[in-house]
Amino acid sequence: MSSYRRAATRRNIVLMIVASTLLLIWVFPLLWAVIVSLKSESEVLAYPPSVFFEPTGKNYADALFGDFSILSSLWTSTIVATATTVLTIVLAVPAAYAFARLRLPAKKTMGFYTLATQMVPPVGLVIPYFLILNKVGMLDSYEGMIIVYLTFSLPFAIWLMVSYMEDIPFEMEEAAFLDKASRLQTLWHIIIPQVRGGIAVTVIFVFLNAWNEFLFAVQLGGNNVRPVTVAMYNFVSVEQTLWAKLSAAALIAMLPVVVIGIIAQKQIVKGLTVGAVKGGGRR
Amino acid sequence: MAQGRVHLKGIYKRFGNFIALKHIDLDIQPVEFFALLGPSGSGKTTTLRMIAGLDTPDEGVIEVDGEDVTFAPPADRDIAMVFQNYALYPHMTVRDNIAFPLKMDKMPKAEIEPAVVRAAERVDIAHLLHRRPGQLSGGQQQRCALARAIVRQPKLFLLDEPLSNLDAQLRLQTRVELKKLQRALNVTAIYVTHDQEEAMTLADRMAVFLEGDILQVGTPDEVFNRPASIAVAAFIGSPPMNLLPATLDGDRLTVSGHSMTLPRAPQHPGGEVTMGVRPSHVRIDPQGLPTRLYLSENLGESALLNLYLGDELVKMRVASFNAGAEGETVPIAFDIDTIHLFESGSGRRIPLAGE
Repeated sequence: MSSYRRAATRRNIVLMIVASTLLLIWVFPLLWAVIVSLKSESEVLAYPPSVFFEPTGKNYADALFGDFSILSSLWTSTIVATATTVLTIVLAVPAAYAFARLRLPAKKTMGFYTLATQMVPPVGLVIPYFLILNKVGMLDSYEGMIIVYLTFSLPFAIWLMVSYMEDIPFEMEEAAFLDKASRLQTLWHIIIPQVRGGIAVTVIFVFLNAWNEFLFAVQLGGNNVRPVTVAMYNFVSVEQTLWAKLSAAALIAMLPVVVIGIIAQKQIVKGLTVGAVKGGGRR
Repeated sequence: MAQGRVHLKGIYKRFGNFIALKHIDLDIQPVEFFALLGPSGSGKTTTLRMIAGLDTPDEGVIEVDGEDVTFAPPADRDIAMVFQNYALYPHMTVRDNIAFPLKMDKMPKAEIEPAVVRAAERVDIAHLLHRRPGQLSGGQQQRCALARAIVRQPKLFLLDEPLSNLDAQLRLQTRVELKKLQRALNVTAIYVTHDQEEAMTLADRMAVFLEGDILQVGTPDEVFNRPASIAVAAFIGSPPMNLLPATLDGDRLTVSGHSMTLPRAPQHPGGEVTMGVRPSHVRIDPQGLPTRLYLSENLGESALLNLYLGDELVKMRVASFNAGAEGETVPIAFDIDTIHLFESGSGRRIPLAGE
């Protein structure tokens, strides 16, 4: 074996160790949650933690079908996250196209304003949103929750999509115009198919954000609209915290996120780099 | 059947502080192959884009077949265009690319497929219909763009430097086919290029653009043999003609102390003028003007001598490459009946008797 090869092997081993260590740090809380979710409530509190125990599925059954079932909350989260995502895409795609292409007056200012909304700390907006929704009678309603989520997801989605659309050469559209396509036909037949990757990335980010959101959900929701992130807190009360059931509920709530993440992994990596590398293309 | 006469009247366009077109007029006849020739930034592409409806002039009127289309959207003009970078739709197959204009034109589905195949056969890509543009070579992409343009039988056929992205050999081959295609389609073609050879070989007539102005409109023959100004003379020809200061007195022309009698009398009172002569119309003459050989360039079939006549560089084309050493003295003379004369101040051509 040549010395070059040995050095390469050595480097790989070091890399593996570093990567595994980092990964372990990242994964540890998740792993811990899985372990806790398989223990009984009393075993969870045992100190030192028991390494060997009889795994039980009871916590999952309780989380899904017990007194504090999260099933209806999962459904609520699905409705809120899906509606937010669909509305965001439907509104953000044409908006991003307009930002990318049309010669609008004050385009730069509007673009900056769009981005600026992302810089406000969300917690500063909880009270104003609460007051507004209260005034218009939309507290604890799906409409209210979705509208509030849209105020965050839309600017983000527009900002993300603009960069994809700007990568498409002008000539492509001009060719379409000469081929007698209207603006909307051009958007539909020429632009959207070419930014499918970008749309996929946007869908994933928006859905995950809406699914994972807690702060606004806990303040602006209630008995009627209670996403799963909030519902999990039923397992935390003043007297006790049901760690095992909480862990089970958390893992169930995490499932869609993980599944989407795995399915979309390739798209996300590709989508995030494409926009950055290709760049240019503008006149 | 479509006519395709294009009439530009006083077109003026500025982009910010840059004046792209300075009141140009142009009358392009039906079924003509018309070239817009000029260096980059001369306004030729802007002119084409206005004819297409992709840009609008600040002043002036564009008429197609007598109808004012100055502000008509591209879709209403019945125009097809081949872009420099082809602008194929990367997510569609070649078939869908070619079919797109027909679909947008709401042609019945049953008629689309045969039309697509016909267009593809015309440019020899019928076997590639299932591919995507990314899977085609540059030449095939170019043909696909052509097929998409001709599938609809438009009134006007616009081409924006369509050959500039092809390699040299393919360019020559496609040039010939393009001309054949235009003849066969019997359609007005407007062709933007910075390559004078392309313009000379393809065009029935051409307009020479410089800095937002049209310097000359004419057949390739007219532009080459009777350039209207020093600017055209300095642009056309490869290399362009030699331009030398001279003095005119009646039909006596004096260059660098050497006098000659012009066979055709110039219509000019005389004085300081600029003389133009093409490199191929300079010859070695033992009785001629003494020049110093600065550099000789071997062009294969011929050679180009760079000579200094006093301080003026004169290029001369010779048949064979055996022209002495650098620094040597080479006596030259000009073919007297091929000389062009221009006014020194305005740069305008001085007509010779019989022109």
